[in-house]
Amino acid sequence: MKNILNLIKKDYILFWNDKPAVGLTFIVPIFLIFLFGSIFSGSGTRPTGIRVAFLNNSNSKIAMKLESVLDTTKAFELIRNFTDEKGKTSAFDTNSIKDFVRKGNVSAALVIPGDAYTDTSMGMKLKFYYDPKNEMEMQLIEGLLTQSIMSQMPSLFMTSVQRRSESLLGNEKGRSFNKKITGLVSEYFNIDTSKMNKWMSLQDTSSTFGDTASNKSNFFNDLLRIDKEQLVGKEVNNPGATRSVGGWAIMFLLFSLTGASTSLLDENKSRVILRILSAPVSREQILFGKYLYNFSLGCIQLLVMFFAGYVLFHIDIFSNFFNLLLIIISASLASTAFGMFLASISRTQSQASGLGTLLILTMSGIGGAWFPTFILPPFIQILSKFSLVYWAMEGFMDVLWRGAGTFDILPRVGVLIGIAVIINIFSIIRFRKGNLF
Amino acid sequence: MISIKNVTKKFDSVTALNDISIDIKEKEFFGLLGPNGAGKSTLINLLVGYFNSDSGEILIDGEKTGKNNFEVRKKIGLVPQSIALYDDISAQDNLEIIGSFYNIRKNLLRAIIAENLNKVELYDRRKDKVKGFSGGMKRRLNIAAGLLHDPEILLCDEPTVGVDPQSRNAIFDYLEKLNSEGKTIIYTTHYMEEAERLCSRIAIIDHGKIITSGSLEDLLELLPYKQTIHISKNQATESKKEIFNKFGTVIDDQDAYELTPFDHIKFSEFFKAAEDNGIPYNYIDIHKPSLEALFLHLTGRRLRD
Repeated sequence: MKNILNLIKKDYILFWNDKPAVGLTFIVPIFLIFLFGSIFSGSGTRPTGIRVAFLNNSNSKIAMKLESVLDTTKAFELIRNFTDEKGKTSAFDTNSIKDFVRKGNVSAALVIPGDAYTDTSMGMKLKFYYDPKNEMEMQLIEGLLTQSIMSQMPSLFMTSVQRRSESLLGNEKGRSFNKKITGLVSEYFNIDTSKMNKWMSLQDTSSTFGDTASNKSNFFNDLLRIDKEQLVGKEVNNPGATRSVGGWAIMFLLFSLTGASTSLLDENKSRVILRILSAPVSREQILFGKYLYNFSLGCIQLLVMFFAGYVLFHIDIFSNFFNLLLIIISASLASTAFGMFLASISRTQSQASGLGTLLILTMSGIGGAWFPTFILPPFIQILSKFSLVYWAMEGFMDVLWRGAGTFDILPRVGVLIGIAVIINIFSIIRFRKGNLF
Repeated sequence: MISIKNVTKKFDSVTALNDISIDIKEKEFFGLLGPNGAGKSTLINLLVGYFNSDSGEILIDGEKTGKNNFEVRKKIGLVPQSIALYDDISAQDNLEIIGSFYNIRKNLLRAIIAENLNKVELYDRRKDKVKGFSGGMKRRLNIAAGLLHDPEILLCDEPTVGVDPQSRNAIFDYLEKLNSEGKTIIYTTHYMEEAERLCSRIAIIDHGKIITSGSLEDLLELLPYKQTIHISKNQATESKKEIFNKFGTVIDDQDAYELTPFDHIKFSEFFKAAEDNGIPYNYIDIHKPSLEALFLHLTGRRLRD
C-alpha cells in the first residue's frame, strides 16, 4: 500500500511540475466553462446592445412610440447615422441604410417608412433589411424585435379590429359593432366605457412581427407587415458551410502554425540548431526561415481548406479569389507571428503547446470562430477585437459572404498585418533577450 | 592554427571559462579532458562561433571567430555532444539538409554523402529513419554530418557518450584515420582512456580553467611517482580495501582499485602486506599512472566526481 501511495505522490509531483499540464487540466476548462456558461447559462442575462441600423420616416404617433420602445430596449443599440469615406457623419436615408448593412457594419436595419401607419391603415408596415451572415444572430434579432414590439404596444390589436370591422361592415354598422364590442369588453372586464371608447379611438397603435407578403388575408399578419429583404449573401452557395469554414480554418491554422513555430524549441533542445549555426548560417536567417516556412504552410493550409469547402460544399471561392487570397495571406502572417510569439516566450515545446491550446481556444471562442460574437458578454466582445481570429473571420465573411472588393477589405488586411508586425517585434525582442539559441 | 587567447565566458554569475589560453597546431589531435561542467562544451561553442566570449579572442588561421564570422565556420566541422539530427527523417535526408547550408552542388553533395556514409558503414541504411538506428549508428552519423564540407578542423564534443565499446572503438579508428589524413581534431571527453588513446596533446580543464596541458608523457611527468598499483576487484580484495589505504590513495574503479602510492612507500612493503593478507600476486599489477591519477593529484577530485 505504501508503494501505491508513493507512486501516487510521485505522479502528483510530476504533474505539478508540468505547468502546461496543470494549465490544461484546470485553467483551460475553467475558462471555457466561464465562456460557454456566460453564453448559454440562461441565467436571465440576454444579449445586449445588438447594433441595428434604424430609420424612422413616419410621423405617426405609433411610429414614434415604436422608436421609443426600441430605444429603451436594452437588447438593441439603434444606429441612426453613418460616417462616409470622407469622415462626414450623416443621418440614414433609405439607400444609405441599405449600404450600411451591405458593407457589414450591422447585420440588420429596421426602417419605418413614411406610410407605415396612416389614418386608414389596418396595421403597421415596416421594412427590415438584413445580412444573414450569422443565422443565429438574425433569428435572435427578429425574435427580440417581435417581443419588444408585442409586449409594449398591444393597442394596435384593438385599433386594427375596429378598422377591420368598419371596413367589412361599412362605417355605420362597423361603428355599431365596435360600440357593442366595447360595451361587452367594458362590462366583462369592469372597465369604464368612456375610457374604453377613448382608447379604441386612438390612432396610434402598435405592431407585431410577421411576414404578410404571402398571406394578405390573414388578419394577424396584417396587423404588422414587415417586408424583409436580404441584402447580402443571396447568391452564396451553401450559406451554412460558407459561414463555418473560415472559423474552423483559422482555428486549425493556429494550431498547426503553433506546432511548427515551437519546433524551434525542440530543434534547439536536440542541438540541431547548434549544428546549423556551426554552418555559415545566422540566427536571423534561422528565425526568418522558420517564419517564411510557417507563413507559406499557413497559406497552403488555408487554401486547401477553402478548396475542400469548394469541393465538398460548393462554396464559391473563385469569384472573389484575389481578395480571398489577400485575407489568407494576412491571416497567415498574423497566425505565424502568433506561433513565433509562443516560441519566444516558452522554454519547452510542451509548455508552448499548453499555452498555445489555451490561447487558441480562447481566441477562437471570443473571436467568432465557433459562434457569432454578438452573443458574448459585452466586455468579451470588446476583448474579441484584440483577437486575430476576429479579424480573420470578418475578412473571410467579407470576401465569401459579401463579395467585398479589395478596397473594402483593406481595413481587415491592415489590422491583421498590424497584429503580425506588433507580435513579431515583441517576439524578436524576446528571442534576443531570452537567448533562445 | 587555432589560438585561444585569454578567453573568459560567463553565464550570469557562473564563470564557465576563466582566462583560458591554448594554442592548437595544424593536424594535431588535441584533447580537452575534464569533468562534466568543467567548461569543455562552452569552449567548443565559442570555437564554432555559437556565441561570443566576454573577453579575449579565438583566432583560426589568424581570423577571429564569432557569431558573425561565416568564413571561419566553413573551416570547422562540428560533432555535438547530442545527436543533433532529425529523428523522423532518413539518414540521407538529414545529411542533405545539413550539407545544403554549405552551398555544395546537389550532385556533388550526394556523392559526398554516399562517401561519408560508406566510411561510417551506414550506406546500406541511408534510407532508414534515424529513430530506428542504434546509439552507435546515430553517433557515427553524427560524425558524418560534421564532415560533409570537408572541414580542416573537426570539433568533437564527447562524441562517444552512451556508445557500446565496439562502436566506440570503431569511432576511435575513424577519427584516428581522419587525423592521419590531415584533419585537426579537438576532442573533449571526461574519459581519460579516450584522451590517452587518441590525443597527441591534452589540456586538463576544471572549473573553467586550464590546469595543465601537454603530451601524455609530459603530463604524467608532473606526478611525483611513475607507477601505480592496480588491484583486481574481487571477493578476496574487496574485503581488504582498508589495507590498501595505508599505502596510498585508492581510486575505486569499476573493475579494479588504482593505488597511487605515498612518496615514502616501497613497493616491496605493499607486496608483503598483500601476501600477509592472503591476496595472491596475480591480482596485483604495476601500471603507468593514468590521467585520472593526475587529475586527482592536481585537483584532489576524481574526473567523474
